[in-house]
Order: sequence, then structure tokens, then C-alpha cells
Amino acid sequence: MPVVLWAIAIGLIFLAVAVFLWPRIRAQAKPGLKQSRRHDFGMEAAEEISIPAYYKTPEHIPDPPSKYGQDRLVLLARNPNWLYAYWEVSAARQENILQELDGLSPWEESRPVLRLYDVTGVEGFNGSNANSFVDIPIQDCTDNWNIKVGQPNCTFCLDLGRVLPGGRFITVLRSNFVATPRATISDRIDEEWMWLDGIYRSFTRYQSGLSSPTLIEEIRGRMDLPQGISSPTLSESRKGD
Amino acid sequence: MPKGYLSIVLHAHLPYVRHPEHAFSLEERWFYEALSECYIPLIWTIEKLFQDDIDFKLTVSLSPPLLCMLDDTFLQERYIRHLEGMLELCEKEVRRTRGTPFEPVAEMYQYRYRGVYDTFCRRYQRNLLTAFKAFQDSGSVEVITSAATHGYLPLMMEYPEAARAQVAVGVRTYQRYFGQKPRGIWLPECAYAPGIDDILKEQGIQYFFTDSHGILFSDRRPRYGIFAPIYCPTGVAAFGRDIESSKQVWSAKEGYPGDFDYREYYRDIGFDLNFDYVRPHIHPEGIRIHTGLKYHRITGAKTHHKEPYVPEWAESKIDIHAANFVFNREHQVEYLARHMDRPPMIVAPYDAELFGHWWFEGPRWLELLMRKVAQSDQLEMMTPGVYLDRHRCNQVATPCTSSWGDQGYHDVWLGNSNHWIYRHLHWSAGEMVKLARDYPQADGMLNRALTQAARELLLAQSSDWAFIMATDTMVDYANKRTKRHLANFKGIWHQIRENRIEPEWISSLEQRDNIFPELDYQVYA
Repeated sequence: MPVVLWAIAIGLIFLAVAVFLWPRIRAQAKPGLKQSRRHDFGMEAAEEISIPAYYKTPEHIPDPPSKYGQDRLVLLARNPNWLYAYWEVSAARQENILQELDGLSPWEESRPVLRLYDVTGVEGFNGSNANSFVDIPIQDCTDNWNIKVGQPNCTFCLDLGRVLPGGRFITVLRSNFVATPRATISDRIDEEWMWLDGIYRSFTRYQSGLSSPTLIEEIRGRMDLPQGISSPTLSESRKGD
Repeated sequence: MPKGYLSIVLHAHLPYVRHPEHAFSLEERWFYEALSECYIPLIWTIEKLFQDDIDFKLTVSLSPPLLCMLDDTFLQERYIRHLEGMLELCEKEVRRTRGTPFEPVAEMYQYRYRGVYDTFCRRYQRNLLTAFKAFQDSGSVEVITSAATHGYLPLMMEYPEAARAQVAVGVRTYQRYFGQKPRGIWLPECAYAPGIDDILKEQGIQYFFTDSHGILFSDRRPRYGIFAPIYCPTGVAAFGRDIESSKQVWSAKEGYPGDFDYREYYRDIGFDLNFDYVRPHIHPEGIRIHTGLKYHRITGAKTHHKEPYVPEWAESKIDIHAANFVFNREHQVEYLARHMDRPPMIVAPYDAELFGHWWFEGPRWLELLMRKVAQSDQLEMMTPGVYLDRHRCNQVATPCTSSWGDQGYHDVWLGNSNHWIYRHLHWSAGEMVKLARDYPQADGMLNRALTQAARELLLAQSSDWAFIMATDTMVDYANKRTKRHLANFKGIWHQIRENRIEPEWISSLEQRDNIFPELDYQVYA
């Protein structure tokens, strides 16, 4: 008997909970018109032409392969402060590295690292003439990495390599060179194209939440800086003083 | 003598979506909706300006996928079926709403859709390219091109041949439909990186656009800010987007499209009406979708209560907003002209799909804007091409790497959700270049296989897929399109390299992914 009573009691509790929660569940399931509300990006793309997300493809589409059998280390600049790299080490190159390591150190004792070189202004980079470099420890299982550099308008090169217990570095792959974009107004002024102060001042009149959120701040900051340069309007007004 | 120039640039683009393998395709509706709501109303706007002999200038970029879709007989046929369904729905709606506050709106839609049908089927014989060709030839509309499949060029620059192919195919597609070379290009997503101008130069392009900071952060400080173009060291001109005029149209909060008397985008009879009644006009599987018939006005901020749309009220707001835009531009050029030794050039680029689809009243606003500028003694409508003819001497500087995406650089197209595509796109691009060099003069089936490989690569490169992945809507479709084109490319690559081409499979791909009928794979050599 007690078992039956317990069962009934539990059943009632479930029922009560279900009755209580039902409106919420329904509310969540209801296809709200606002759900397709414009994405949060500050970007100014037109609203995507409306279309709900239940596309069904009857055919099987294979995932792309994880490896192509090629040695590649590609470095891309995402923005003035971040780089992104992906790589693939071919079986042949892996074999080479094992041979190179042979006699120096067992594979397990070497650690995989990304060595990021600042090669801004360096000509004929050879691995040892960079302005500076940093090592970023990674795991063997990964094949891509986001790298924070925080250095706009600089040039970088990346090595995927292994550090041996004694500190020796062996390069497995070397990347292309990549330059981070500028994030500021240039200080280089053309004598025959002197910048016009009044034009730049016009930008600071407008608050902007547009796709260049830092732009207004940047210009505003520049305007407040003591300018070590003359522009026609500035020099004119100074003359007037 | 006008004090300043205003250059309105409309960028029209949709990814290549064509699904003959499905009886019904939701994705194709992107195109149908854009035709009915944006492109045909834009044609009406331009026609009215011509009819009334208004002196105006407009720049329109038509992306190559859009050109190919407009020219595709299968899509034209399907669009007519779609329009017939819309006309049927409009008729039912006029009957249903009789005597209700919605009657004038239902009648407005019926009138519009009859006009759309007439414009598409009768006047332009299903091919709207005829209209844009005529506009281009008139000299008032400067039609320009974009990259082949709207590929995101800065992230292709490790394989410059791939970026060059995107530009070259864009130029050739334009030439095919317009009988001349394009003077300008809309770089997909306004995305520029140094080196891209070399490719543009090689392809005979004279100008492109960047976001504001693309010009302002040039390697040399630009004398006129964004109010005059700069020449890249290659001699290709770059025009920067104006911040202020963009905001007035785009901003969801302060922009015109948010006015309470304008049409509410999110209330659609596809969701509002009785299921059985709308059933024939929604997804065949019974899933509610937007039909395009939207009867309410925005009414108020943050309210779910929506009042019926009143076309006359909207019309008076359009007039006010067009006048306000002109007033602000006059004010802007008056200020700028005081500081400049040449007329300031205000470049205001927008997605063409904003006008009519999202901002229902947009095409009419454009028309009134052009009419008002024609009467202004301070403003003159301008195109970049005409500007460069008039002002040949410009400062030389290299623009800054930039895009018009969130944060202004490549974050949107190279983020956590979409970084995985680049290793595959790059591999495919590298292999396509090798194929083109290894087979310089293929003919017959091998030629067709190589050409189709190039098509699949181009289709995989559309910036739309990475964008959709980043926005987290329709991700499934974007993933599948990317993977399908990559898999097709790799499949063809294997067949060519292993000398075992399957003609039937190649034929089926040619029929399905039939973009760029005259593509020459040697563009990759």
C-alpha cells in the first residue's frame, strides 16, 4: 500500500510541476516574430532577406579533410591587434623532424611552440635577425591558433617548431609574412598635401556607433594632442593671433 | 556652382542560390523577395526620374552572382510562379480585408504586385538586365561590378591568383552584360588590403570604395579626410565612406527607417493569419514563413502593439526625411567647402537590399532625395567616375587594410565560427592555380572539368557563407554550401589528377552550379 501511495504522491507532484511550467514551455516554443531580429553586429548590412533556419539537404555532404598531405603554415592578420595561424605538417616533414631530433632528444621531451617574430622593417629575414620574438607554447593536437600581438602596423612571421630540453629551437614550418593594419591616423604628412585641420575637426562633431567604433575616439584623441606639424588653417589662425 | 557633391552608391548583391533539385527552395526566396521589394522598385525609381527629366546621378554595383541570377531562365521561370502565387494571395487578401482598416494596405500590395508582374514579364521580358543596361547607357547611372562571387579578397591574398580571378571574372561578367569595361568596383564587404589595387589596376579598374578609416588611416595623412579620393600608388582611386550620411539611413535607433509611421518589417501575415488560410502560401511542409505582406506600421518603440499601416502618413514622412537628408548634406558641404579648395565629395554607400526590403519606403525616399538635390544650388549628385574626370589631381597614399564589418577589419569573416574554412579555401585555390598551369590548353571533357572546378572554388569563396556563419542565423545552409562546393572541387581535382573524369557527374554539376556560363579556367593561370 505505501508504495502505491508514494507513487500517487510523486505522480501528483509531477503533474503540479508540469501544470506550473507548461505556459513557460509553450512560451519558449512559440515562434516569436522578434527572434529573427537583426543580429548584434555593429555592421551595417541590410537585414538578411528573411528566411528561417530549417534547411534540409537530402544528400550527404562530406566534411572537408583534416589533412591534405601538404606542409603549410599560414599567418593571417585579423585586425590591428590579433593574428590567426593555421598549419599542417606532412608525414614526410614529420619524419624529417624525427630524424633531426634523433640523438638530440626523445620526441616526448621536446615541446611544440609557435615562435612569433617581429620583422617590421627587416629585409631578408633569416630566422635570427628579427627585431624580437616571443614563444607561445601550444599542444601537439592543435592545428590553429589565435595570437594577440597588440601591435598595429607591424610585420610578423611565425615559426611552428619544437623546443628541446636544453632550450634549442628547431623550426618545423615557417609562415608567410603578414602586416597588421594601421589603427590610427598616420603621422606622415605630404608637404604638398598638408592635412586640413577644419576637415578633421568636422569628424569630432558626430558621435558614431558605426562600423569604425574607435574612429571618432581616435580622431578626437588626435585633435587634442599637441600637433608638431603645421597645416594651412592652423598656421593661418596662428598668424592671426 | 555647387558647393559639394553627393554620391549615393547602392551595392546590390545576393549569393548565388539556385536549387533546381528542390521543388521548393526557401533560399531562392531571397532572390524573389529582393526582386519584388528592391530591384524592381529601384527600377521604378530611376524610370520616374527619367520620365520627369530630373538631373540625377547614381552609382549601382550589381554583383556578378546577381547578374547571372537575373539572366538565368530557370530562376526567371520560378520567379513568375512565385509572383503568380503572390497575386493570388493579394486577391484573397483584398477580399478578406474589405471594410477593415487593412483594406487600403491590402490594395496597395495588390497594386504593387500587379506592377511588379507587369514590369518583369511584359516590359522587360523577364530580364531586368535590359533595364540596367539602358540606365548605364543613359549616363545618369554608373553601373559598376564586384568580385566574381563576392569573395573576401584580403583573406585570399596569400594566393593572389585567386583574388585576381575573382576580380577578372567580375570584370568579364560585367562586360558580357554591359558591353563595356566597368570603371569601378565594389570590393566585397568594402574589404581592402594593400596589393588588391595592383590587381584592380591590372584589370583596368579605375576606382573602389573603402570604409571611412580605410582612407583616414592611410599611410599618409589624407589632406581632405574622406571628402576627396586618394590615389593608391598604382593610380587606382579609393573613395571613403562618409560617416554622417551613413548613420542617418542605417542607424536602427536614429535612422529614418525606424520612424513609427513606416512599415513594420516583423509583422507578416505568414505568421499572423489563420494557419489553414495561409497554408498555400507558406512552406509546403507547413512551416510559417514571411510572405512579404506586412500590414502594420512600426507604431512605437518597444511595443508589441502595432497599428495598421497608413500609406499617406508614410508618404509624408518620406518627404520630410528626404528633405532632412538634403538639408543635412547642404549644411555639411557648406562647412566643408569653407575649408577645402575643391568641392567636397560625400560618398554614401548602402546595401541596395536595405531599400525596399528592410526599409519598405526606401526606394521612394531615394526618388524624392534625387528630386530635391536637383533643385539644390549647393549640392550636385555625382558618381566617382565623373568626379575623377573632373578632378584628376589627387593625393597619393596607400589606404589602410579595412572592411565595413563589425570592428572595421576582418573579425566578422575570420572569427571563431568561420576560421575553419580558410585552410580549405586556400588549399583549393592553390590547387586550382596548379591545375590551370598544368593544363594550359585543355579541351573537351577535361576543359569542362577544369572549368567546373573553377566554378566550385568561386562559389565556395562567397563572403556570404562566412558572414552567415558569424551571424549565427541560417548557419546550416552556409556550412552546407561551403562544404558542398569544397567537396565538389576536391572530387573534380581527384578525377583530373587521376585521369578518370566521370562525364555524367561533371554534367550534373554544370547544370546545378551553372554560374558564369562563359568562364575560362585559364583565369587562374
